[in-house]
Amino acid sequence: MLAETIKHPVEHLFPYSVPPEEYSPGMVTWYNSVCGMCPAGCGISVRTREGRAKKIEGNPLHPVNQGRLCALGQAGLQSLYNPDRLTAPMQRQGERGSDEFVQTTWEEGLSAVAQRLEMADRHSDSVVLLSQGVRGHFANLLELFMRELGSSRLLHYDFAHPHSLHAANKKLFGEDQLPYYDIANSRYLLSFGADYLNNWLSPVHHSLGFGHSRQGDDSARGRFVQIEPKMSISGAAADEWIPARPGTEGILALGIANRIVEGGYTGGDAEDWSAALTAYSLTRVAEQTGVPAETIARLAEEFTHAEPGLAIGGGAAGNHTNGVDTLVAVNALNYLVGNIGKPGGVVFNPAPMSSRSAIDRPSSRHANHQAMQDLAENARQGGVMVLIVNNANPVFTLPQSTGFKEALDSIPLIVSLSSFMDETTALADVVLPSHTYLESWGDDMPQPGVGFSVGSVSQPVVSPLYNTRATGDIILGLAAKLGFREAIPWASMEDFLKDGWREIYARRSPASDDFDSFWRDVLRSGVLGENVRRESTAAVDKRVIDGIGVAEPEFSGTNDDYPFILHPYMATSMYDGRGANLPWMQELPDPMTSIVYGSWIEMNPVTATEMGVTDGDLIRVTSEQGSIEVPLVTFPAIMPDVVAMPIGQGHDDFGRYARGRGSNPIQILAPTMDPESGSLATSATRVSLVTTGKRAEPAKTGGVARQLGRNIVQFTDGSSEAAGHSTKVNGIPIVVEPA
Amino acid sequence: MSVSIVHTLRVLKPAAMIGLAAFIGLIVGFYANAAFFPGTSPEQPIDFSHRIHAGDNEIPCLYCHVQARRSISAGVPSVNKCMGCHNEVATDRPQIELLANYWRTGEPIPWIKVHDLPDFVHFTHKRHVAADIECQTCHGPVETMDVVSREAPVKMGLCLNCHKEHEVEFGTDCWTCHK
Amino acid sequence: MARFAAGWRKYRKPGYYDEFDYAWTMSIDLDRCTGCGACVTACQAENNIPIVGEKGIRNGREMQWMRVERYWEGEYPNAKLSFIPMLCQHCDTAPCETVCPVSATYHNQDGLNVQVYNRCIGTRSCAVYCPYEVRYFNYNDHHWPKPLDQQLNPDVSVREKGVMEKCTFCVQRIRQAKDHAKDDGRRRVVDGEMQPACVQTCPAEALVFGDRNDANSKVSRSMNDPRAYHVLEELNTSPSVVYLKKVDADAG
Repeated sequence: MLAETIKHPVEHLFPYSVPPEEYSPGMVTWYNSVCGMCPAGCGISVRTREGRAKKIEGNPLHPVNQGRLCALGQAGLQSLYNPDRLTAPMQRQGERGSDEFVQTTWEEGLSAVAQRLEMADRHSDSVVLLSQGVRGHFANLLELFMRELGSSRLLHYDFAHPHSLHAANKKLFGEDQLPYYDIANSRYLLSFGADYLNNWLSPVHHSLGFGHSRQGDDSARGRFVQIEPKMSISGAAADEWIPARPGTEGILALGIANRIVEGGYTGGDAEDWSAALTAYSLTRVAEQTGVPAETIARLAEEFTHAEPGLAIGGGAAGNHTNGVDTLVAVNALNYLVGNIGKPGGVVFNPAPMSSRSAIDRPSSRHANHQAMQDLAENARQGGVMVLIVNNANPVFTLPQSTGFKEALDSIPLIVSLSSFMDETTALADVVLPSHTYLESWGDDMPQPGVGFSVGSVSQPVVSPLYNTRATGDIILGLAAKLGFREAIPWASMEDFLKDGWREIYARRSPASDDFDSFWRDVLRSGVLGENVRRESTAAVDKRVIDGIGVAEPEFSGTNDDYPFILHPYMATSMYDGRGANLPWMQELPDPMTSIVYGSWIEMNPVTATEMGVTDGDLIRVTSEQGSIEVPLVTFPAIMPDVVAMPIGQGHDDFGRYARGRGSNPIQILAPTMDPESGSLATSATRVSLVTTGKRAEPAKTGGVARQLGRNIVQFTDGSSEAAGHSTKVNGIPIVVEPA
Repeated sequence: MSVSIVHTLRVLKPAAMIGLAAFIGLIVGFYANAAFFPGTSPEQPIDFSHRIHAGDNEIPCLYCHVQARRSISAGVPSVNKCMGCHNEVATDRPQIELLANYWRTGEPIPWIKVHDLPDFVHFTHKRHVAADIECQTCHGPVETMDVVSREAPVKMGLCLNCHKEHEVEFGTDCWTCHK
Repeated sequence: MARFAAGWRKYRKPGYYDEFDYAWTMSIDLDRCTGCGACVTACQAENNIPIVGEKGIRNGREMQWMRVERYWEGEYPNAKLSFIPMLCQHCDTAPCETVCPVSATYHNQDGLNVQVYNRCIGTRSCAVYCPYEVRYFNYNDHHWPKPLDQQLNPDVSVREKGVMEKCTFCVQRIRQAKDHAKDDGRRRVVDGEMQPACVQTCPAEALVFGDRNDANSKVSRSMNDPRAYHVLEELNTSPSVVYLKKVDADAG
């Protein structure tokens, strides 16, 4: 009787009315798709149980990541199941920025936007669509939509878009693309500031290449050299880390190039190169960069004789006023050692696999800082009637000096298609929330490619959680309301996608008629590769050679008032701030400092002692644009007059995990630009540091960062004799050091 | 030498009270834990009788509980399985009318789980069915039950006894069953 | 007396088994590891690792079955940083196994150090005894704000307050791999068929996992590498995790 009164909680068993085809209880279903967490475009395989996504793995068939995935990619699940997701369309009720929204229906939301779009004069470019960088057929859809609207103002905006690299490639090689850097087959990598293992271009692919170059080939071990003012994880992985004065990496590259040309470069244009580079003598370059002359000479020697050598540049090195010239100099190094188009070198990609090649997307679609400034100015002048924002967050990723947030006040209608209430969406009038990438149809042609043509398809892995819609469907819905049926007849993104792939199929197998099998195969594998390669023409125009040169970098603020150079870098877990609302990413310790849940500023220990500050002191960092307060961390591998701060925290909105945490260094960046690419010179801001007298210890997971003789990480110099012989105990080898 | 009983009692009395309370608590706790009691049989939304189906009509277990052969969970049949027969069979009975209602509205039938293992246990029907173990071994003589009741106390002892008796390879390793 | 001595010798012999059925081993190549932390997040996703929060981490209560340690050598401008992923070493002579008063942790037939959450009473002595500090205690009950709980892996327990936990070499995947092997009629799991979450995701392919009883497995080859060593070898814990020394080409 007692058992009746005190019972277990009752558990129910709900059967289906009709069992679904997609899954069986207790059994796993895998879906292949494309990761949407960063622009690299890795292929993923998602493990689902009972219709819920449980784990994201890399797709083993995908040539970009080959079954591997980075931390941010793993955290995509928390983007899908984030408690702060927007669940339904909303319309602003109170003042802009007051966070008062009222839920509405899709019909109302779409109608409200369509009405205003119709009101805006069709040909006066007063409608702006600001999207995160997108590729594939969805990008085509945006082009179609804007064309029908009569507006040419379609902007792809990514904080980390490598504008300077595009410009440099165009300048030296005439190729406006991101080439494939064959790190796997390289045996000497000279990296000028490019954090290729962390978040530069395609980090998973580069890590695979790194691993292979290091220990995947028994005959040779790759050597990695990193040149940057503050050690990144690529710098930690490198065999040699060389601090050069910020912004002089290009001068260093030309110094090395000069040595290569002097040392017996036998190309037909040797005279032109010699004339162009003669000014970059060892002594002069050593003086400008702070790198000893012997080192420069040695690097040139090693690079020339490496089999093969590869030079890459980017990150902070590309984010100076001389960014494009710096990257042209790095490109020149590759040209001079003749690795263009060769294994282990720079390989240009064929045109992306696309059906609607008629829609030529100019690279000017990618909004550089100049374009964003122009947009803000134009908005202030009243030139923008409607702004549609798709998953971009310029209010967070643009410096305060741009005045973007204030410029938004002058735009009558702001529509956001984001899945989260980020800072930009908080200022919207109508919110039409999108599905996350795990709930959407789409495709991607990854850039940089892998030397041959790759197309991957993204499919929903779960049913949509909320009353949201795929971004493509939102655009199609607007198109329908605006009466664009003729040019844009598709009912859904899935249809649009399939039609596009029908054309790809027709091109590949013109004689056959079984698209459905083809489509099933593509979905099953997640990726399609085509053995189309590009013959790389490694020829450089004489005028370009003559114009080669790297000027000294310019900085905002005088040396006296602002003695330090600020080096902002994208944190491993945050990327450009998008990881901040994911608890796993907040809890992922920064690899170099093991700090979690906050911001910090890194300073050389000697400088810190001189300044009289120590770890945990709260420091006010002031630039000409403003100031922020951040705790200090001493960091052994940073130049004495450089301070570094991670980007990603300092959100005002964006959910419970991101809000009110840390500081955003982008806010105080100077609006200095590289005039050639129009991109923001993020590394060109000088700052002054003053202690506030308060303490703010960052939260760390790591303990003492020195081994103190514990021999936890052991080293070998690579020769097998020194490693000692191994014996086995219980089948486990015990290495016995020679006496 | 005399020991004062009064002093001893003064210490013993509260100690004995606590000890007695603890003992009673233990007994009550034991009996209160319904897991130790076989025979729990909750009332189900439809009076489905295994005796009629599995007993009299000799429908094999795996006909309805299809998942048992290939999944960790045996599950219950989907409503369309029931309707497969009951579209025609015994449609006038009140319980069948209840079933037909669920089918028409598309609402799932809220069966109450009788054999519920805690979440930290990994039990896979697939392996046990593949080992040719009769369902009745653990579930009892289900084909004689009008209302399913839990015959076996679903304690660890049930699993371990069988694993030891049949000398299951590594069957007594904790991580075989505990997640 | 002789029986007592024989029993004592047997007790003191490493492990309870003379030989392991599978001897799961992981090798970590420090020359490949980039410190990116993908392994850390993959493990969190796979094993329902709770989010401890900032306050918890400030109290030293972090929960990372796999963590990446970093060690500096030298000073500017010759400072060098090395990363080392650290996880439960599944030691064959594990100090943690000897101290548990309720035998909630022991060594099983696969060479794995088993942690049984139900038996654990939370004395935390095992964490004290572990020289690698890879055991983590649940100081709080953990909640996943909806719908983050939809991501939880049904093959892994959600631990409550008061129990110790640590890396299990993804035993749920090992169990599944054995299940599949039986389905296919095979008796043994093939090398590479099953990988823990960390090994599967490592972008630099620094982690290798397999059965060292199989002389042809990838991990056996790693163990025979002249660079192979164990961390804190001098403590004689006989770990099942082999590290490959980082190559410092400029050393010596």
